[in-house]
Amino acid sequence: MRKKCLIFLSIVLTICLSMVGFSSSSFAKEKSVVYLSLADYTGPIAGLNVPADKGTEDYIKDINAKGGVDGVKIKFIGIDTRYDVARAVSAYKRYRRTPKLLVVNSIGTGIARAVGRLLARDKRVQLTPGDGEFQAHLGSTFIWGPAYQDAFAASMDWVMDDWKSKGKSGAPVVGYLNWDNAYGREHLRGGKQYAEKLGIKMLPPEFFPPGTLKHDVYLTRLAKAGANYIHAGGIDPTPTNVIRDAYALGLTKKIQFTTGYWGPTALGLSVHAKALEGIVNYSFFLRGEDTKMNKTVTDLWKKYRGSLDKLNGVYGMGIAWGMTYVGALKIALNSVGYEKLKGVDMYKAYQGITGFERAGIQGPCAYASDSRRGSREIKIYRVKGGKIVPITGWQKTPDAVSLHKF
Amino acid sequence: MRIFKVIMLFVIIPGLALGAISCQTLKSLTGPKATLVIAPAEVFLSPALFKKPVTFKGSGFQPKEMISVEMVLPSGLKMKGIKEGEDVGIAFATANEKGNFTAAMAPTATLNWFFQVGWTPLLRPNFKAAKPIPPGVYKINATGLDSDRVATSTLKIVPPPKKK
Repeated sequence: MRKKCLIFLSIVLTICLSMVGFSSSSFAKEKSVVYLSLADYTGPIAGLNVPADKGTEDYIKDINAKGGVDGVKIKFIGIDTRYDVARAVSAYKRYRRTPKLLVVNSIGTGIARAVGRLLARDKRVQLTPGDGEFQAHLGSTFIWGPAYQDAFAASMDWVMDDWKSKGKSGAPVVGYLNWDNAYGREHLRGGKQYAEKLGIKMLPPEFFPPGTLKHDVYLTRLAKAGANYIHAGGIDPTPTNVIRDAYALGLTKKIQFTTGYWGPTALGLSVHAKALEGIVNYSFFLRGEDTKMNKTVTDLWKKYRGSLDKLNGVYGMGIAWGMTYVGALKIALNSVGYEKLKGVDMYKAYQGITGFERAGIQGPCAYASDSRRGSREIKIYRVKGGKIVPITGWQKTPDAVSLHKF
Repeated sequence: MRIFKVIMLFVIIPGLALGAISCQTLKSLTGPKATLVIAPAEVFLSPALFKKPVTFKGSGFQPKEMISVEMVLPSGLKMKGIKEGEDVGIAFATANEKGNFTAAMAPTATLNWFFQVGWTPLLRPNFKAAKPIPPGVYKINATGLDSDRVATSTLKIVPPPKKK
């Protein structure tokens, strides 16, 4: 009787232990960590996010194929939020308890603000585009490059140089045209103050809803107010379409147009090359002809995507995200080892990766204990002969974030 | 007596271990009962949903916690961007000091998950590519992201009235 009882109990114990074993990652054979992308693959900014995430995914695939980081493989999880904040919150809820989830990339500022609260509580790193607020209030959210206002300020330095190089005295008049949302206003939160410090006269900004078909009203108003330069914001194809309208109005002949991080790519050029000729674009990552010259980017693209015909500069930006993750992971693994590795270790590692190089795709990493900027440099490009070519080297951006009261 | 020790060793201790593992589930069962009310509880898909969106009101959550409101998709229903077996987030909110919340579906959520529109390169919703969610009764969960408390209700989507 006692023997039977013992056999029965042994079976119960075996079942219990198996259940625990299957539900625990500590029994997993492969060491792995997770990168979660709260992305947009089929929504309004898919054209930007799809190539960027391809870059990250390909880079991670390549690292894994070479054995991972000190034997630790990286799992890339891409979630299509369709640029919807509620979906992003729900998706993070779903993956929140994923073992060794270390970093979450949030594709939009709205998503970053909502999910960031949860990530801060979970002590995980969040990456997001360029909102200066994350630099003003240091936390676990890191931005991809210089803050939007820093880059805008650097473009104002270029505007002043360009103005003087044309033999003109004083300072020019600058118009600003962007989406009517938090992103559209962000550049001016410190950027406007910087421009005015240079003596530039900033016209009252023009804001329009995303999806606007024609921009003639805004452009005409800025032109009539005497703009010498106009910054055309939004995410491509918006800047391309703004300049298309300016070209049709004959404004591109007398006004120099500038665009920011999400300005025209090869896609916009293929449709409106004539209208875009001569426009200026500033970027924290390599674009156009520069992208085609970067061996790391082209090798990876050829390996996983084939012909270079459809190579997009944004792909390189995605590679840089992957490189930063890998660089920080090395630091974190060295510091605490795989078994003890948690989100908070990656948070410390991201702050300790200052100066990290990413194959020249963007400037040296500027993350530090007092900095959430992914880099401090931008490069300025111009559309010439239907190509996006650099007209400056890497230039350090001013600190315009500190000029605004957040 | 000895058999009692054996039972302790083989059944109760593993039981406690399993219990600890599922403590997250237990956590959600403690505290006040969370409730969810959807207004209106019955809708048909029309542009009126952008002006007067579906709204969710909940209570019994932890003060100041974030709430995710999700629609449970029946098996076989395919939705753009959603993998099979996943719920889709349609609203979110933060509970007030009393643990109550109100959330409304944002236009992007209505467009993406009810109308299932496409998006044009001009960032405009493309209704030609839309695949509206079929009429039916959909389970809606509101989950507290700190307390794990879940409140459930249903939303009925009915066919639009026939034009006279």
